Amino acid sequence: MSAVPLTIHPYSSFSLSRVWTLATNTVTQLLRMRILWFLLVFSLIAVGAGFAFPAMSPEQQLKLLKDVAFGALQIFSIVVAIAATALLLPRDLEDRTLYTILSKPVPRYEYLFGKLLGVLLLIGGGLLVMDVIFSGVVWLKQSFIIADQIAALEHEQQASPENVAAVKAIISKYGLTISLHAGVWAVFLKAAVISALALLISCFASSTLFTIVITFGFTIAGHGQQLARDWFLHKHLTAGWEKGLSAIIAVVCPDLGAFDLVEPAIRGDVISSAALLSVTGLAALYIVGYTTVAYLFFVEKEL
Amino acid sequence: MSEAAATTPLQPAVTVENFSKVFKGTLSRKPVLAVRELSFNVQAGEVYGLIGPNGCGKSTTMKAMLGLLKPTLGKATIFGRDSESVASRQDVGFLPENPYFYKHLTGRETLHFYGKLCGLRGSELKDRMATMLDLVGLKNAADRRVGGYSKGMLQRIGLAQAMIQDPRLLILDEPTAGVDPAGSRRIRDLIIELKERGITIVVTSHLLEQMQEVCDRVGIMSQGRMVREGRLEDLISVENQTEIILENASAETLSKIRELVGQDAAAKLVSLGKPRTTLERLFLESTIQTGEGE
Ligand SMILES: Nc1ncnc2c1ncn2[C@@H]1O[C@H](COP(=O)(O)OP(=O)(O)O)[C@@H](O)[C@H]1O
Ligand SMILES: [Mg+2]
Repeated sequence: MSAVPLTIHPYSSFSLSRVWTLATNTVTQLLRMRILWFLLVFSLIAVGAGFAFPAMSPEQQLKLLKDVAFGALQIFSIVVAIAATALLLPRDLEDRTLYTILSKPVPRYEYLFGKLLGVLLLIGGGLLVMDVIFSGVVWLKQSFIIADQIAALEHEQQASPENVAAVKAIISKYGLTISLHAGVWAVFLKAAVISALALLISCFASSTLFTIVITFGFTIAGHGQQLARDWFLHKHLTAGWEKGLSAIIAVVCPDLGAFDLVEPAIRGDVISSAALLSVTGLAALYIVGYTTVAYLFFVEKEL
Repeated sequence: MSEAAATTPLQPAVTVENFSKVFKGTLSRKPVLAVRELSFNVQAGEVYGLIGPNGCGKSTTMKAMLGLLKPTLGKATIFGRDSESVASRQDVGFLPENPYFYKHLTGRETLHFYGKLCGLRGSELKDRMATMLDLVGLKNAADRRVGGYSKGMLQRIGLAQAMIQDPRLLILDEPTAGVDPAGSRRIRDLIIELKERGITIVVTSHLLEQMQEVCDRVGIMSQGRMVREGRLEDLISVENQTEIILENASAETLSKIRELVGQDAAAKLVSLGKPRTTLERLFLESTIQTGEGE
């Protein structure tokens, strides 16, 4: 139509630019749906928790603060993972936006990948912001407590350099540590696995509600899975087929318990990089597996 | 591009060969045989109209041409490429029936999104978006959210979206459905303009009068089958009749004509009276058209 023909790059079967376009559009869509109001609410909870309960021992105060904040982080990421993902595909189908997208040179795997990436960007960005706020609050609290204790020591005229250093060391262990960030990363991984699962379910479910309910069910089951496998299998029987069955359960329903690095992070334990690497690998396996199955359903889907 | 070079003028823009589609049944629904053994070709540069009653399989045929669903039997090609291949979609723009777009985007952002998906970038994309907004008359509404667009505006942003990568073929499913006569005429004029620029168009509509004004060839479908197909002129001209329209003819002239006809043993006067303007024309003449922006 234009006098000068447009420079259309020849079609390639994978284009990062198309995936990025789909992903950023998904982020915009979710942001404009005001899904991040959650973030504000949860950040307020974290800040509030930081300055409540002054009657407890310093260690307990810090532990409680981290408990509440991690709880908020987990709920935020799981709710966004399920609700946001479940909203995307069924809505595109209902509104027939999918027709116009897939009638452009966009392979179906790029569409799925773009949507998932969008949700992960949103959750990742949200968690990053919350991590910063959360770290700030823990650090502040920790500094207040240390200052208090040193003041107390001075009051008792026992503020020798050794004593001050000991107080600092003990409180810091319960305060802001690197494993806190590792804990947040594990929360992200768990949410990513749940998003991939929600995407898979939304590929054959026809409604948002159904996707939300089923994914939520799997999420609950996934948290209790380790228990169930132990109880059913290892406790009574030890044959080879049970191990197989156990593996099948682990594949169909994600073993979300495996991502619980939060407890050690709260206790202030050091999380080894090997442990971190292994949960990251496990998450990647689940995500690739679920997305592949999702694609197999989606490519056959009649629109 | 090598593919463009391979496209000789003789190669049809669209072929549909022996296409049949069965929608599988479910527990509560019987299987539907939506289209049976449909074949037709569209030559490059042609405007081809698919007409037929609701549920006769027009949309199903279009979706197969775009690879949105798989043929049960047969196949379709777009400029020689199988329509199931994603690459064939570079050459097509599609406006679906009752289109909806992301409500959270503005008109401009919508075009940007689809342009990026087609591989357009930078200032070229910006220019193209501006040209398209101008062409469909949505310049003033470009920065409003699509969620607030009227039906006619949705159809027009849909048309702009379909043309964003300057495709050689446009597939338009009911582009004037639910649009008021002025909007509908605007879309029709646009189709004529695009045809003059050499773009191939496949269009469905149940507004036969409009189809008559734009189509070179039509296929009439009924219950999933093609029942008539051919050049529009051949299909609708009544071979043994002639129409004369006179202006300011006196009563005397008219009676002379009648007399002449009476002298011819074979000829018969079928009708004589005042031609009527169409209701559409009357509507357009008597209402005020606000133009773009709405
Ligand atoms: N996804 C589907 N599942 C089952 N039946 C369908 C589906 N889409 C269309 N049909 C049926 O196929 C027939 C043709 O539909 P369609 O192509 O939309 O007709 P038209 O566009 O000519 O009005 C109709 O009987 C319709 O009910
Ligand atoms: Mg239709």
